[in-house]
Amino acid sequence: MEEVLRYWMRWPSVEHLIYSYLWVWGVCQSLHFVGMALLIGTVGILDLRLLGMAKQFPVAAIKKLIPWGVFGFVLCLATGLLFITGIYANVNIHPYVVLKSDVFLQLKLFFVLLAGANLLLFYVTGMSKAVDRLEAGDDAPLLAKFFAGASLFLWIAVMYFARLIPSGKFQP
Amino acid sequence: MTSLLQWLENTSLSTTLRDSPNVFLYPTILAFHTLGLAFFVGISSAIALRVLGVAASLPLAPFRKFYPVMWLGFFFNAVSGTLLLVIEPTKFLTMVDFYVKLLAIAGAVLCNRWLYVRHFRSPAPVDPNPLPPRDRAIAVATLFFWAAAITAGRLTAYDDPHAQWQTALGTAIVTAALLAGGYVSVKSWRWIRAARGARPARHAITQEAHR
Repeated sequence: MEEVLRYWMRWPSVEHLIYSYLWVWGVCQSLHFVGMALLIGTVGILDLRLLGMAKQFPVAAIKKLIPWGVFGFVLCLATGLLFITGIYANVNIHPYVVLKSDVFLQLKLFFVLLAGANLLLFYVTGMSKAVDRLEAGDDAPLLAKFFAGASLFLWIAVMYFARLIPSGKFQP
Repeated sequence: MTSLLQWLENTSLSTTLRDSPNVFLYPTILAFHTLGLAFFVGISSAIALRVLGVAASLPLAPFRKFYPVMWLGFFFNAVSGTLLLVIEPTKFLTMVDFYVKLLAIAGAVLCNRWLYVRHFRSPAPVDPNPLPPRDRAIAVATLFFWAAAITAGRLTAYDDPHAQWQTALGTAIVTAALLAGGYVSVKSWRWIRAARGARPARHAITQEAHR
């Protein structure tokens, strides 16, 4: 198992890119933050509306902002993948070792998965469809409020632990 | 001046925050700086996107309710940012990039304020659609200043001005390429979808054009 992970997690092509150009790592860091702002700005507004803030918004109209949040998430995913697969070029430690020893990275990834599960449940319980019918002034169902609150909490946890990753233990 | 910065850097507050391995000190201050950014920049950017015509069916007035959230984010960042400055005053205050970051933030906050005064403080009964070109220009400026502030903020992590310039230029080029690529693909996707969806009606449209 370890051999397989060690093989798959370290991408020489990404390392080569980082070694070749001084700016690759920094550009991806900036884009990671830009993606984060887009995701939190759009999804956060939807979550806060469902929780009862700015109830004059019809929910279906807010959802038109969400593609920009998805774009932000894709930016974060792509650049985040580069950070993990190319980290050897930055700190001379194998990504497998970092993933295994840095508890903040583990927590961050765990909360990203939870946020994904929360989103999935929001859809499969039919809440996503149900909130589309909410017009100006309508209160969201309790279950939708739960998903919205969980979404806010989970994304805040993701950002908090993510910022702690460099302070985590990199060596086993 | 340098001695003042050195004095600040040697205060017990500065040394404790800087040298302590406690994860709830320096790393948590950094994390709060990021959380504040996410809510302030994120919501401000969403408003700018709305002004530019994204989600045009969304009424403008209720955005007022989000301004306290934005100001809370700003407050988080002002406090955590001041602490980060106390931790390394000499590094930041002697770095050109740091002043670029402050200017970019000032620009973004002013643009944000402009939009607030024009549309959110006393909203019009009916939202103009599309919004006036001047407001859309301000929205573009808001997004530009936020991207610049984020990039300049990231660059304070580098000591080498050469690396800073290269990274700034690289970010500008990659962002421009992403925006151009995204614009072209969204436009062509819509065009293809419209062309396929409207096929039965197209004959009528061409006839109309020939008349």
